[in-house]
Amino acid sequence: MAPVVSVKDLRKRYRRNDPWAVDGVSFELEPGQAFGLLGPNGAGKSTVVKVIAGLIRPDGGSVSLFGLDPGNPAARVELGFSPEDPDFPKFLRAGEVLDYFASLLGLDDTERKRRIPETLAFAGLDQERRQVRQFSKGMKQRLGIAQAILGRPKLLILDEPTADLDPLGRRDVRALIDRLKESGVAILLNSHLLSEVELVCDTVAIMAKGHVLKEGTMAEVVPEGRNLEDVFVELIQGSGPKRDDLPSFISDEGNKP
Amino acid sequence: MNGTLAITRYTLLELSRRRLLLVFAIIGVLGIALLGIGLRILYGLITSNPSRGGFGDTRLSTDQLNKIIETLFVSELFSALSIFALLIAFGIGMTAIYHDLDSGAAVSIFSKPVSRLAFATGKVIAAVAVLVAIVGVLALESRFVMFLFGGGLENELWLEVLAIVANSVVAMLIVLALSTWVNNIVAAVIAFVYIIVVEGVVSYIHTLTDQGVINNDIVKYVFDGLYWLVPHQLSSSAIRDVALASAQLQTQGGGPGPGAGVPPASGAGDIVWWAFTVLFFAVLVYYSVRRRQV
Repeated sequence: MAPVVSVKDLRKRYRRNDPWAVDGVSFELEPGQAFGLLGPNGAGKSTVVKVIAGLIRPDGGSVSLFGLDPGNPAARVELGFSPEDPDFPKFLRAGEVLDYFASLLGLDDTERKRRIPETLAFAGLDQERRQVRQFSKGMKQRLGIAQAILGRPKLLILDEPTADLDPLGRRDVRALIDRLKESGVAILLNSHLLSEVELVCDTVAIMAKGHVLKEGTMAEVVPEGRNLEDVFVELIQGSGPKRDDLPSFISDEGNKP
Repeated sequence: MNGTLAITRYTLLELSRRRLLLVFAIIGVLGIALLGIGLRILYGLITSNPSRGGFGDTRLSTDQLNKIIETLFVSELFSALSIFALLIAFGIGMTAIYHDLDSGAAVSIFSKPVSRLAFATGKVIAAVAVLVAIVGVLALESRFVMFLFGGGLENELWLEVLAIVANSVVAMLIVLALSTWVNNIVAAVIAFVYIIVVEGVVSYIHTLTDQGVINNDIVKYVFDGLYWLVPHQLSSSAIRDVALASAQLQTQGGGPGPGAGVPPASGAGDIVWWAFTVLFFAVLVYYSVRRRQV
């Protein structure tokens, strides 16, 4: 079965003299697979997904999306992407944003009339009449997920999808991921919430400073009797200089006034 | 094509909800109405005064005075329309693309199967349409206000509106292109300096060297070259027609003869240069959008 996404030796940096944001990352994603991309802040996870979504160009290596260059609009027809901190044209309403994106996806009138109200209801925005500029971060996050699933994608990329959601919203996203996986949709999940990744992902890659430190199925990465958080902390701490846990003015008992 | 249409449609919807443009449009509508009504009241005061003056020793007939007030109104109107059109062009140019890039909305848009060319084309079409619509409303209002003065200079109005829109489109494209690289306020300042200061100075000195007022060969060669590095402001025959009409009336009234230095209408060369600059800056908008990583 042809991979949905193939990333080979990907390299990217934002300015000539900057360190590599991503340096030699490779992985493949099959249909129906849920892949978790983990790492601390600045690890390069969002850079990887932006290259896959055709938003930025790689400086080295190759990326194919459904067998095509992600910069080619045809490659993105079956891609759903919910970015980190999503935002939308601020003077539009939620329904208008979805109609706008449905037009970009090439959905006909019948499909738009069917899908938009259902997607708005799923996102809990069906009663919302305000413009996006008045939305909270959580509402934008819900709209971000809604627009990502609108085109019934075969690859869904979720970049920190639950960061601004309440517990009910998180549960809905988990249920959505499970349902999509069952129907053969490939999921690429970027998240700091390791317990969430452990619940929904089949395979994971742990990144730091642009490199993949460990990659494999959940069973390969997390030995029996341990959890993903332990493995993650051990790998990240082992990959860089040891940091003091707390500032001295807080940890030093003798300095108490 | 669908992508371009969708971008155009929703950019139009967004721009129609922007308060800044609404404020500019309202100020323009009120400004033109006040200008017309003010001049009309002034005319009423002059005609009601039995000792009303003329130019020199000759007193003006009511028709002549009416005509002078109208030409005064029309020349003030051209200046007002130019300023409002430029303000609106800057307002649209600063927001149409920049807000999508700055807010992160472009991330969601560009991850859809839409090309950067379709995005840039849709944005430019919507921006030009809104500019034409707002300036068109102001021009229509001007046409109605001209009824207060009896009319007669309608053709001049339409020709000058065309020239004003053409000049504003160039300004807007420059701001649109710059705002994809830098902050939109910085883009507006750079565009303002380029369009008003650089272009103004270059065109003025070029005119002086052309007319022989400045005879230095080096200055002439330098400014002949620089002249083709800046957009040329198009002007219709309207300004000259209005100035000549005013001068003719004043001469009948014993005033000074037709004034020298009234700029002629732009020629075919200027119009071709305008078309080239529009194409150049439209391509620059596309190139800037294409290069932009979000």
